[in-house]
Amino acid sequence: MIYIIDDDKIMAECVARVAKKLGRETRIFSNGIEAMAEIDRELPELLFLDILLDGPDGFTFLNELVSYSDTEKIPVVIVTGLTLFNTSFSDYGVVRVLDKNKMRPEEIEEAIIKYGR
Amino acid sequence: MESEVNGILVAAHELKAPLGLLRQLALSMEYAEDEGELKKIQKQMVGVSERALRQVQDLTKIGRLDEKMFEMEPVAVRAVCDEVTEELRYLYRFNHRNLVIDYRNRARLVVANRELLKSIVYNFCLNAMQYSGEDTESELNLYDKYDKVKLEVRDFGPALPMDVWRSLKKGWVEKPTSIAMRPGSSGLGLYIASKFSQYMNAKVGAIRHRDGTSFFVELPVSRQARLF
Repeated sequence: MIYIIDDDKIMAECVARVAKKLGRETRIFSNGIEAMAEIDRELPELLFLDILLDGPDGFTFLNELVSYSDTEKIPVVIVTGLTLFNTSFSDYGVVRVLDKNKMRPEEIEEAIIKYGR
Repeated sequence: MESEVNGILVAAHELKAPLGLLRQLALSMEYAEDEGELKKIQKQMVGVSERALRQVQDLTKIGRLDEKMFEMEPVAVRAVCDEVTEELRYLYRFNHRNLVIDYRNRARLVVANRELLKSIVYNFCLNAMQYSGEDTESELNLYDKYDKVKLEVRDFGPALPMDVWRSLKKGWVEKPTSIAMRPGSSGLGLYIASKFSQYMNAKVGAIRHRDGTSFFVELPVSRQARLF
């Protein structure tokens, strides 16, 4: 199961469409609180995360994620329109940062194949 | 000059999002499962581009305000609200939001420019949809207030930052500014609503709630006969 956290539902669906083509199941969440509640029930194999979210932002969510032993190892792909490319988030389980304005579906595909189960 | 450049940058930032989204939608067509999904993507592309175009049109209207291009006339405010809510119905449904409409005014005519008023209502309703959580209701209320009609749109999103609220207390927003607590927003819609309200001698404002924000505009009642 792949989780996609983005308050822009259309953008989240674009990511989900690629995952579905690869035979992966997805769940879309519009904020981190809902996603975290669901993670408590089922750990995702991979997580796509937007940074500017309603309520707590993506960085707050990442902090929360690494603070628990069972969630700290979930690979996270940040999908954002913000410029974050000189920043390393590897301590937060971030395996890739994709720019919403430049990314191609092939990059999403590659991330799923490489970091998903 | 500096504030003009800032304004342009903020406007550019706000318009970047729909362009990025259109690009993703176009690229994801290849990944559509069937004809039905392709149709859905097409519908989304039309919706996203229409909203972006509306914003560009509003920005060009701001440039024409000084030329007094927009005539003031008696406008049936309920009819304008009906038109906007009808246009946004699909978008609300798609995003699992609901807009509750409560017209408590006596359907009086207001003095406004229909086109500018429509933009204000559209911006308020779109804003409410964007900042309310999934499966929540936004509210569009109309009621009388002495010799004015108050149009209010309530959302259940993050509270409005204090500085923007203070600026609105003065009755207008001087320039589009980043509204960090309301993600993805540069406050451009609010700036547009503020400019149009000023032109129509209407008062624009906001009420902070612990669980969201209400944006309102107070429009002077027309002295012409009531519609019904």
